Amino acid sequence: MTRQPERGVRHRWPSRPVVVRARWAGGAAAALAVAWLIQRAGFPAAAAAVAGTTALVIAFAVGLFAVQAALGGRSGITSVARTVVDEAIRMRSPLVLVILLAATLPVLPLLLDPDERLAYRLQFLIGWTLGGAGLLLGLLTIFLACGSICGDIESGRIHMTLAKPLRRWEYLVGKWLGILLYDLLLVVLVGAGSYTLVQMLAVDSAADAADRDAVSRQVLVARRSLAPGPDRPQEYAAAIDAAITQLERDDPDAVGQEPDRVRRRIRREYERRWHTVTPDMETTFVFSGLGGAADPGREVQLQVEPRVSNVDVDLADVRFAVWLNGRPWPMEEGVHRDLTLPSRARHVLDLPNDVIGEADTLRVRIANRNLVPPGETRPTAITFPPGDGMQVYVKAGSFEGNLLRCLALMWAKLALVAAVAVVAAAVFDLPSAILATLVFYATALGSEFFQDALGVYNVVGESGWERAASRIGFAAGFFQAGRFYEGFRMLLGFLADGVLAVLPSFAADAAISRLATGMMIPVRDVLWRLVLFVGLYPAVVGLLGWTIFDRRDLIRSSS
Amino acid sequence: MHVTDRAAGQRPATAAAGIDLKCVGLSKSFRDFWMRPRVRAVESLDLEIQRGEIFGLLGPNGSGKSTTIKMILGLITPTAGRIAVLGHRPRDVATKRQIGYLPEESYLYRFLSARETLDFYGRLFRIPARERRERIDRLLAMVGLEAVGHRPVGEFSKGMQRRVGLAQSLINDPQFLILDEPTSGMDPVGARQIRDLIADLGRRGKTVLLCTHQLSDVEDLCDRVAIMFGGRIRATGRCDELLEDEQASTIHTPLLDPAVADEVRGVLARHGLAPVTIERPRRRLETVFLEVVEQARAAGLETSGARAGGAVPDFLRGDERAGSAAGQAVPGEATAAADGVALSERDTAGRGADIDTALLDSLLPDAADDPSA
Repeated sequence: MTRQPERGVRHRWPSRPVVVRARWAGGAAAALAVAWLIQRAGFPAAAAAVAGTTALVIAFAVGLFAVQAALGGRSGITSVARTVVDEAIRMRSPLVLVILLAATLPVLPLLLDPDERLAYRLQFLIGWTLGGAGLLLGLLTIFLACGSICGDIESGRIHMTLAKPLRRWEYLVGKWLGILLYDLLLVVLVGAGSYTLVQMLAVDSAADAADRDAVSRQVLVARRSLAPGPDRPQEYAAAIDAAITQLERDDPDAVGQEPDRVRRRIRREYERRWHTVTPDMETTFVFSGLGGAADPGREVQLQVEPRVSNVDVDLADVRFAVWLNGRPWPMEEGVHRDLTLPSRARHVLDLPNDVIGEADTLRVRIANRNLVPPGETRPTAITFPPGDGMQVYVKAGSFEGNLLRCLALMWAKLALVAAVAVVAAAVFDLPSAILATLVFYATALGSEFFQDALGVYNVVGESGWERAASRIGFAAGFFQAGRFYEGFRMLLGFLADGVLAVLPSFAADAAISRLATGMMIPVRDVLWRLVLFVGLYPAVVGLLGWTIFDRRDLIRSSS
Repeated sequence: MHVTDRAAGQRPATAAAGIDLKCVGLSKSFRDFWMRPRVRAVESLDLEIQRGEIFGLLGPNGSGKSTTIKMILGLITPTAGRIAVLGHRPRDVATKRQIGYLPEESYLYRFLSARETLDFYGRLFRIPARERRERIDRLLAMVGLEAVGHRPVGEFSKGMQRRVGLAQSLINDPQFLILDEPTSGMDPVGARQIRDLIADLGRRGKTVLLCTHQLSDVEDLCDRVAIMFGGRIRATGRCDELLEDEQASTIHTPLLDPAVADEVRGVLARHGLAPVTIERPRRRLETVFLEVVEQARAAGLETSGARAGGAVPDFLRGDERAGSAAGQAVPGEATAAADGVALSERDTAGRGADIDTALLDSLLPDAADDPSA
């Protein structure tokens, strides 16, 4: 018996990759043509937006082929990973988020107020594009991971997959890896997109020369910040020790209970006193570690945020004279000028290189030149609060490098979100898994806020032990007084404290705000968080999830 | 007149070289959210399947068939009892390399094409790229989907998805096949092909655990069957032993003249055999259906659905039973006797094991064209 040729089927479908590539190319050409038409019609900004979107989409397609090729191997993990990537681009819900991303990014510059100073517009743009994209990618990661795994289990596809020689942990790792690479692709695209937007905006006309200067020296740059030390550190330390000793002698009861706390309070008090320039005194702030001769072309800036002390006038100007390494500054026509600046505002002063020379250390001496306010007999004191009040910035790198570090942090966080989502999906069914991951994501994002909120409403303490001790003390007091609800609530704080201590914080690195304000994101921070978020935390969470998933009966929740 | 020799349709005992599946005291009770036992799906089940055997697992809905299969595959952990699949624990990865599984429903990624689906499962078996491509081509041809291999599976009909499911279960040339209701959702042509395929796999020495509601399939294919109810096996044994009616005989002849029929009756009556029924055998609807489809195909009518399947790929190795059932050019259906009278002892001609499945699709129409067999 021979097989008869099938005359019935005449048409053949062209192979899918060919169709896909043809569609991509056709779509891109059409979009560029539309952009050209818009340009001709006299809307260059809209044309740029369309072209930008098209470029993003093309880059997405190219990157996608690269990711798929990278996952071309025939191990179980890469096969599962590749299928997740396929799912991400072919299923509706993950695709919608990506389209939203591609559509919103290039439109953002159109929303900026053109009358705003250019430096601020750039900062808004950086914050919005990266912040918004980070949030969208977080959601995408959660929906993709939970949808993919819960979908497999719910539909029964997992029966077919796990009946193959694939261990359950390989299945989970494969899903994670796929999402990880897809996120990497999207993060790179977001980075490329926002970098292009920033560069396009940066050539826009600035409000004035100072604005232009701020763009290049305060936004599109990466600077290290240095905190000041006291002029004579030994004397300063000795003074604090003496004060502590004296207090211990004079009022042992005050110190006896919580000696550490008292010592800290005294130190803070001294620090604040030292940062205050009284009318009759000069104060010298010493910044060391500027780089010195090793970095001759460096740009050094002094940031001050002065406050007027002991007067009710909130927004008064402050007036002071400055010496840099013993030389008066600024000099105008041979005269040493005082600086007059509004208080409670941040001022960045570019320091001349010829004054600082090649020194590694900068000594900033400040003399109070405040006017005598009405009704007073003396001028007011000027305080440069510890922290933001007085800092020196040294250019340490480029905006591009900083952007890369920021993107690396964004990806690291997505990797951890993906790991949590994968584990949640392996343990719970669909809505619960998404909910659990969203709770995690929100807590990690708002970790600082929650910590503050709990600190305000519950107990205050410097260390975890201190907080725990006072929490127990308060709770015991409430219970003795018969106020059981308050006592219970106080103990509940342990739970919140515990959760916050275990959960990582996604906001602690302040990556986006650092990038937007031209502050260096330390490489050490990035590496450490990569280790934590891509390695350590996923390993721990994954192990926990695998322990449950490995014992789980893979049946639909309905059956 | 032909009387089929039943012995020829049986698998030789030598095929039973070992035991491919052994379950001892297997139990499974599902628990609810509070860990309270809720359903006892399977209770102290003992099962043994020899190498090269086609074993039918029957039972009404909810009798524990699928649960048993999922325990054998390591997807569900038994509450009690032990399972050895090919001599190893079910979760053993090396064991799974030898297993092909078709679940009771086709659970496929809607967004993958048929080709990509098979590629995905092939890669899980670490089959090298070139060999994978070849196997996929042949399997798609076998299930008749080679023309639509690039379309997403989500666009497929249920039966077409079933064909993809069947193809994926064979991608690794498994020694042990677990088929959960393989013909559900298939058109009669496809169902027929699957039956023939299973028979062919049996001849190649593969072990098959077949779980189905199509009792005729079981009758045609299985060496042994077990019937489950309420999580327990209620009856088990060799198919032919279970089915043989020891109280009656059938004789096949060409169409009998009424006079001759009376004569035969007379002869039988003399031997005290009464009552005797003589009637014209009915053709099965399946046979008629297959004829119509094949005629349409021969007339060149177009279809965007599944085409007739092709040959069983030769990468599915096996020790083909030597000289299997000589003279089995006899087609699967008793169509040869369509115009005749069957005094049937048992309709064994429908036994798929006797069909030459080398060219599955062209088989049945030829048989219909050739009523002289």
